[in-house]
Amino acid sequence: MKRYIKLFSIPLLYAVMLVSCKQDFPIDEDGLLITTRAECYVSNFELLGSDFQTVRTKNPVIDTTAQTIAVEVFFGTDLKNLYPQFSLVTDAKLDPKITGPVDFSDLVTPKTYTVISGNRKVRKPYTVTITVQQP
Amino acid sequence: MQHRSYLTYTLVVLSLLAGLTACDPSDHPTVTPLKKVGFQNDVIKRTLGPNVVGLEMEFAFAMALPATEGKLTSAQVEASIGGASGTYLEHRSYYTNGSGNDIGVVVGSPSSSEGKITKVNFTADTSAATLRYYYKIPEGARGQSVSFTFTSTSSTGEVVTYNMGPYQIAKMDIVLDLDVKDGGAQYISIADMKVYTAAEAAQMPNKIDLVYLYRSIPNITFNHALVSPATDAQYRPGLTLPAGLTNSTKVRKEWGLRDFHLARLQYGIYIDDLDFEKLTISTAPNYAINLRAESGAWVETADGKYRAYIYMNSVNNTAKSAKISMKRYTL
Repeated sequence: MKRYIKLFSIPLLYAVMLVSCKQDFPIDEDGLLITTRAECYVSNFELLGSDFQTVRTKNPVIDTTAQTIAVEVFFGTDLKNLYPQFSLVTDAKLDPKITGPVDFSDLVTPKTYTVISGNRKVRKPYTVTITVQQP
Repeated sequence: MQHRSYLTYTLVVLSLLAGLTACDPSDHPTVTPLKKVGFQNDVIKRTLGPNVVGLEMEFAFAMALPATEGKLTSAQVEASIGGASGTYLEHRSYYTNGSGNDIGVVVGSPSSSEGKITKVNFTADTSAATLRYYYKIPEGARGQSVSFTFTSTSSTGEVVTYNMGPYQIAKMDIVLDLDVKDGGAQYISIADMKVYTAAEAAQMPNKIDLVYLYRSIPNITFNHALVSPATDAQYRPGLTLPAGLTNSTKVRKEWGLRDFHLARLQYGIYIDDLDFEKLTISTAPNYAINLRAESGAWVETADGKYRAYIYMNSVNNTAKSAKISMKRYTL
């Protein structure tokens, strides 16, 4: 009898373990959780210089309808080495990712960053326009 | 089956007994001294960070022997590369009093240096002392490593030695507290590690890498700046350059890097040779404006020969001046 219990219980245990390893939550290509949230916007924006200090002269103007971010930076800011920081709505992510200093020196063609919602179905491109403070 | 349960029972009881035995408080370990008893010595290095030519390395050299075995007669330090002038072995032994102050007690005659050896002869009847050793890093040791042999001798002729090192000496140079003033000595040469006036700068236009400026301009924050002679005119407003100044030096602003050697503040941050070797500022501009006190700038000269870190020790808006310190690395 004992032998039968052993014989059955081991495969059963394996079966339970296999079931528990099944993926319950979907994840995207970055290994991030795909949720049900459809909200898609930038809540705050920061721009740091090469010394990791802010280069903004005042608060950024973020228009979530027009999908634009307008920032004024100090006179003499090194525009080739800036670190943008986006604050996004819960579960959203940014494309392209920011991996190091970004060259914003081409003021005529502003850079575009796309916000992707938590359910990964809504994509909203935001244009970052930089103006330099002038004497 | 019955046999097995007896076995288990016995094992449990045995292990409990063993546990009790191990907890017996009467079982004190015997203390054995790690070192030999008798004449002993020990050394610690007190300075931290990279060893820069012109700065000091400080050691505390302790020695002691039982009073029954005689007294101390001499202490000496031999460096593998002789120290620069200013190298000495303290002839006072220090203790810390109740207020936390180090109080020196004279135990010997002031040290004398002969080549690589610095020596103190004891005059006090003492069998224990801690002497400080200050090694002024000489120019000849740049980029090399230095070792030290600490030796003390007792009245019975017994000698004990202690070896320290090797310590790598940094390649970089250091210069402290250069005064720069807008309209005065404001032309900075990284090659010379000096500051020149316009008239002097005109004599050596190739050597001038940066110009210090102070401007108070409405609507923008300009204040204290380090700009290259070749920078765009908007970043050097109102500056008439002496003829021939054309260097375009790369400058990258830095904040919060208060190097201990340069700033001499409480922050234990050190810039070492490696930081200069790994520095990449090829995309940096040729100006840095709005430099505040305790900020700094990484610099690479136009000819690619030098990299430097310039630290702003203090700034003065009224006098339009600043005090700067610099570490420089030759590539």
